[in-house]
Amino acid sequence: MQNVSLVSSLLFCVIGAAWAGLYAWGPVRRFASVQAWGWTLAVWSACAAGVLAYLGWGPAGLMQGDGSVLRASWPWAPGLGMAFTIHLDGLSLLMGLLVTGIGALVFGYAGHYMAGKDGAWRFMLYLALFQVSMLGLVLAGDLLMLFVFWELTTVTSYLLIAYDTRDAAARRGAFKAMVVTAGGGVALLLGFIVLSTIAGSSDLATVLGAGDAVRGHGLYGAALALVAVGAFTKSAQVPFYSWLPDGMTAPTPASAYLHSATMVKAGVYLLARLNPAMGSTEPWFYLLTGVGMATMLLGAVIGLRATDLKALLAASTISQLGVFTMLAGQDTPGAYKALAVGLLAHGLYKSALFMVAGIVDHETGTRDLRRLGGLARAMPSTLAVGTVAGLSMAGLPPLFGYLAKDALIASTTHPSLPTPVAWVLAAAVVVSGACIAAQAGILVWDTFIARPRGPAPHGHDPSWGMLLGPGIPAVLSVAVAVLALPAASQFASAAASAAYGAPVGVSLTFWKGLDVNKALGLLAMIAGLGVFVGRRVVSRVIPSGPEVLLPGVLGAMDGAARRMVRVQSGFLHTYLVVILLSGAAVVAWQGLPSPPALASLRWDEPWPALRISGCVLAAAAALAMVFMKKDIHAILALGATGLGVSLLFLVQPAPDVALVMIVADVLTIVILILALQRIPAVCRREADRLDYVESRSAYRRDGMIAVAAGLLFGLVALVVLAGRPRESVTAEWFARYAKVGAGATDVVGAILIDFRALDTLIEIAVFALAGVGVYTLMRYASPAAGDADTPSPGEATADLLHTELVRLLAKGILPLSITVAATHVIYGHAQPGDGFTAGVILTLAVAFRHVALGYERSRRSKAWMRPMPLVAIGLSLAIGSAAASYIRTGSFFGHVNYGDLIGLPLPMDAALSSSFIFELSIALAVLGGGTLVIDTLSRPRDSIAAEGRPTTWNS
Amino acid sequence: MPETSVNPHLALLPIVLPLAAAAVGLLLLRHRPRAMALLALAAMAGGVWASWSLVSAVNAEGAPVVLHVGGWRAPFGINLVADHLGAMMALMCQSVLLAGVLYARGCRDTCVRFPVFYPLLLTLAAGLTGAMLTGDLFNFFVFAELVVISGTVLTACSDHRGGVEAAYKYFYIALVAAMALLLANGCLYAEYGTLNMADLAARIADRPDAPLAGVALGLLLVSLGIKCAAVPFHFWQPDFHTTSPTAVSAMLSSVVVKLGVYGLIRVSMLLFPHADSVSPLLVGAGVAGVAVGGLGAVGTHDLKRMLAYSTLAQIGFMLVAVGWKSGPAIAAALVFAINHALVKAAMLMLAGAVASRAPVKSASFEVVAGVGRALPGAGVLFLLGGMALAGLPPMNGFVSKLGVFRAGVDQAAWLALGALAVGSLCTFVYVARSFQRVWWESPEAAVHAKPYGDSLAAPLLLITASLALGVAPQPLLSFASDTAAWLADPAVYIDASLKGTP
Repeated sequence: MQNVSLVSSLLFCVIGAAWAGLYAWGPVRRFASVQAWGWTLAVWSACAAGVLAYLGWGPAGLMQGDGSVLRASWPWAPGLGMAFTIHLDGLSLLMGLLVTGIGALVFGYAGHYMAGKDGAWRFMLYLALFQVSMLGLVLAGDLLMLFVFWELTTVTSYLLIAYDTRDAAARRGAFKAMVVTAGGGVALLLGFIVLSTIAGSSDLATVLGAGDAVRGHGLYGAALALVAVGAFTKSAQVPFYSWLPDGMTAPTPASAYLHSATMVKAGVYLLARLNPAMGSTEPWFYLLTGVGMATMLLGAVIGLRATDLKALLAASTISQLGVFTMLAGQDTPGAYKALAVGLLAHGLYKSALFMVAGIVDHETGTRDLRRLGGLARAMPSTLAVGTVAGLSMAGLPPLFGYLAKDALIASTTHPSLPTPVAWVLAAAVVVSGACIAAQAGILVWDTFIARPRGPAPHGHDPSWGMLLGPGIPAVLSVAVAVLALPAASQFASAAASAAYGAPVGVSLTFWKGLDVNKALGLLAMIAGLGVFVGRRVVSRVIPSGPEVLLPGVLGAMDGAARRMVRVQSGFLHTYLVVILLSGAAVVAWQGLPSPPALASLRWDEPWPALRISGCVLAAAAALAMVFMKKDIHAILALGATGLGVSLLFLVQPAPDVALVMIVADVLTIVILILALQRIPAVCRREADRLDYVESRSAYRRDGMIAVAAGLLFGLVALVVLAGRPRESVTAEWFARYAKVGAGATDVVGAILIDFRALDTLIEIAVFALAGVGVYTLMRYASPAAGDADTPSPGEATADLLHTELVRLLAKGILPLSITVAATHVIYGHAQPGDGFTAGVILTLAVAFRHVALGYERSRRSKAWMRPMPLVAIGLSLAIGSAAASYIRTGSFFGHVNYGDLIGLPLPMDAALSSSFIFELSIALAVLGGGTLVIDTLSRPRDSIAAEGRPTTWNS
Repeated sequence: MPETSVNPHLALLPIVLPLAAAAVGLLLLRHRPRAMALLALAAMAGGVWASWSLVSAVNAEGAPVVLHVGGWRAPFGINLVADHLGAMMALMCQSVLLAGVLYARGCRDTCVRFPVFYPLLLTLAAGLTGAMLTGDLFNFFVFAELVVISGTVLTACSDHRGGVEAAYKYFYIALVAAMALLLANGCLYAEYGTLNMADLAARIADRPDAPLAGVALGLLLVSLGIKCAAVPFHFWQPDFHTTSPTAVSAMLSSVVVKLGVYGLIRVSMLLFPHADSVSPLLVGAGVAGVAVGGLGAVGTHDLKRMLAYSTLAQIGFMLVAVGWKSGPAIAAALVFAINHALVKAAMLMLAGAVASRAPVKSASFEVVAGVGRALPGAGVLFLLGGMALAGLPPMNGFVSKLGVFRAGVDQAAWLALGALAVGSLCTFVYVARSFQRVWWESPEAAVHAKPYGDSLAAPLLLITASLALGVAPQPLLSFASDTAAWLADPAVYIDASLKGTP
């Protein structure tokens, strides 16, 4: 039951958010006004506050016991050690009540404020989502869960700040707030991880109980720095503070809520929360006190030159956040007492003042202090509310703010502080107290009472509903201080004890007799009066807050980014050089083998003469390819290299490989020459000039890279050769099972068609898709990219080839090659040659016909030969046959002899088996892919022009 | 280990279904793009179902599903091994590709109406999944080539003018990768006489100092580094992922680069688990990737290109985690990979959807600034996606980043962690800037936006998935940590793969 009640405050907020989302729906919007909707949202929020109050003061509540903790936990992501844990103690109760209580008022107020504005529902939704995140943050009993909600507040506040996206300043402010707080979030996450690693768990109770282990750990400094950066960014501490003034572009209800009462306090809350685990060390004390004091003074001073109501409030908020940070750093009960009282006091008066500023802005249309003034008569109720809140801010009795200030001063004069530090602190507190008092004076006086410098602004009191927002906290500032001091003391004591880690007694009173603290407070007040009187002079001598950090970081990032983008030069050549060199470095790093002794190589292989000629042919042709001036010669030399290598394969003996190598080599040459024909000579010369004539050094560099690559390959080859003969795992097995398992006498055939059929299937798909790719590039992409018309290949070779003999050959070549191909397909399992060879041979025949007969005529006379369907049929047949094998044998690509199955006698050792079907489909797919290339490349310009750019493909 | 009760042919389905659909579609539906799209959708849905079944089977049995293709036992035949890693990656690829097909269906690019578009997308799926499921190194090479050729052609036929050039550069660089992979195959076969990965792993463990082992390892790293666009092998990536059709670039930048990451995990966990020289390389490349990608994304002027650069950085995160090699690090890398796959695909689709509504079809910030105002729904999705990229809750990105950071703290790898933290800061900057430029700036631009454009269904699905995996991450986390635990013991893979072999 307690579990349910613990989570139900959060649930009420979630329901509120859903309720807010409902208002996005048009019919709901027509049914209810924004004001009404705002107050309904306030009810949800008040329910959440009610639950918290019940948990605090109810029968089994926190205040009944000795400041214990109420906890409930559910597993969330145990894989990350993350649980959904609610942890309610005095501190989270204080924050939770601020979040839900002030939230309720802000919702009601926001309805009035946003009425009539575009997309008010969006604002309410963001606000409600923010409330969920913020309440989750303060109730979280697990560091990682706390972080989740922490980041959610960042995102929702980002959206709230830039609510008016048309305003460039709002966009800038939102960006800044996002980058600063989310950047701090990264540090915080790391800090939490370190902390939970040290403590052994991210559970808050465990972490808080592991204080000694944390403080004594070697990583304590790192954890402290990381957590502090996170907290400082969120709580707008020096040097990260500037996002808060810039974030004032948010609509005022959001500022009142996020930027004074709740979110900016998250950092302080976190520091106070973790004090039992991380506090009470010198680094903690000096870091927090130093940064907090600097922030306190900075905020107090820059607020004096503000001319915008909200800017002034933002500055005083920064100052107050500095105070809290400073207090969190001190290891005395008094400091934590002051912190707890201060959080409550500030939450009440600052939200009221923000809402008052919003009312002034809403009613008069300006928040500029130079234009405001004299509104006392027109807006008496607003003046009353503003005055009460302002006096509380100034720290005058009998307001709650006085108690906070009193406790603050008392903490600085605590005897446990080292003397010089105590003096510095006391002086700083007095100075900032004076400035804050003066700010409060400026705020109320210059808005309502002083005579306006220009034309008097028009305005009147808002509706009572809108006034309720600031009115209630202002009244509470008085009421609590006057009527409920014991209850407030107990409340603050619970919060302070939770943060301090030990019981902190709090008994708030206005007068215990004159002492040094009262004197200092009086001094601050008098000084504040002086500053207020001389405010015009003061504002002129005060510099604006320094703004270095974020512009510096972003500037450095942008500069580096510009350089980084320039590295991406677009030159493939450069890319390849970098990639090859880095690749060589990686390979070398992994270790090159040492070259073997030449004696370990075998020199007594058969047919030495053939081997040597093969080598010489390949090497000489490769060299020639590099040095040949004309492209066509280089291509022919490339072909010769291939033939030389095929010769080596042949004598190995590896006739299957040699055969494939030869046909593939010839096909390559044919394709290259056809492709070359399509590139205008001008372009070829230009490319040559740019690549090699203009840049001799690049030529040499590339040469060196090529030689290095060659040496690497050579080294590997030598090592392989030196290790021979080596027992092979697979070779023997293949030889044994080729006939038995796959019915093949040719081992290579069995490997390709049976043992490694999957390889072959994918390879033919790659081959066929390469054809599809060439087709795409030439027929579609190239015209789209605006390539110039290219010469027709038919024209260049017309004289040479159009003799009767050649035509006769061309006509006869197809039947002849079909016969050869059929043999390959049928006997692929029994002898060298296979479906691939068959497909390439057919492709070559087609190429010959195209060149000899001309593209149009060749295509016309063999209209049935359409490459795209051939590709598709080949692939479908291969997969279909494999699937059929699965049905028959329970194994995809299993071997089935359908001929034997149906008792079909076939002559001459042919077999109607799955292997045969696969060979056939390979041949078809390869023929299709190859023909796609040949067709595309030999298609004359005219037919491209005639057909135009294809919109659908039709082969 | 118990015998798996599922039909091992399940492992073949995610490969063969798209491949068969491609072939049949090319044959029968070339001139009926709508029917072709439906066929592709059905094939991918089947693939997702099959890979989901694989994942459940692997999870339930605690053992890999092994298929010896054609009934030929490994190492003599080729086997498909769907272990935790393979099955998980297959499911990731198939799901994202399903979304890709869905996007293509609702997309207004000219190129998606060409008969070969869907078949090529399907072969891309087949190649990718095949490479992640195969247990044979040469077969891996072949599947990877299928991916390369499909991706190249798809990019070359893009509506974007730069598509041809980018495809050309990519193809060249991919050839370098292919060459390295092939040579690595050669070296390993020469040394160990087998290409089956399980068999290789066992033999390498027996004889790790074979003369060519180092060369083979180096070449594998180079080729896989090119595949996943690890710095300094990344040059092809920004152009290639920017100019290809949106439906394709969303696949390339999300799941296709994961092929390299997958391969690197296999190399460092299965084939060469004892090579100490791998980790520093991976961590170094990862950190460099985080820097290059993060800064590139900040500096670029094009929304799609920014997302492409961001992929470099995100891959960097994964490489660093893979380089750390500990169980939590590997698990984090996997969760990160899945998050990135979902989110990057969605964000590129959103960029495409915005570009399709811009007055001129382009994703350059100058053109798309303010266009998002006409598309508030896409804005919400983009913001959520951006949060996931930046590692903010409640998206899965937070869980992945948390995992990587935790692993880093466990390793006390402070330098790398610092780089990752700075990289995260870059992410905030470019995500927030791009979101603001497209959805908030130039209010007048919205007036010129076209009233129609690419459908948002696919990114909606993907972002929802990332959100769901962020709010309820436990199933994914526990599967990932199981995966890491299985990977830590190569014997599991080896035994399952070679079981029954004489």
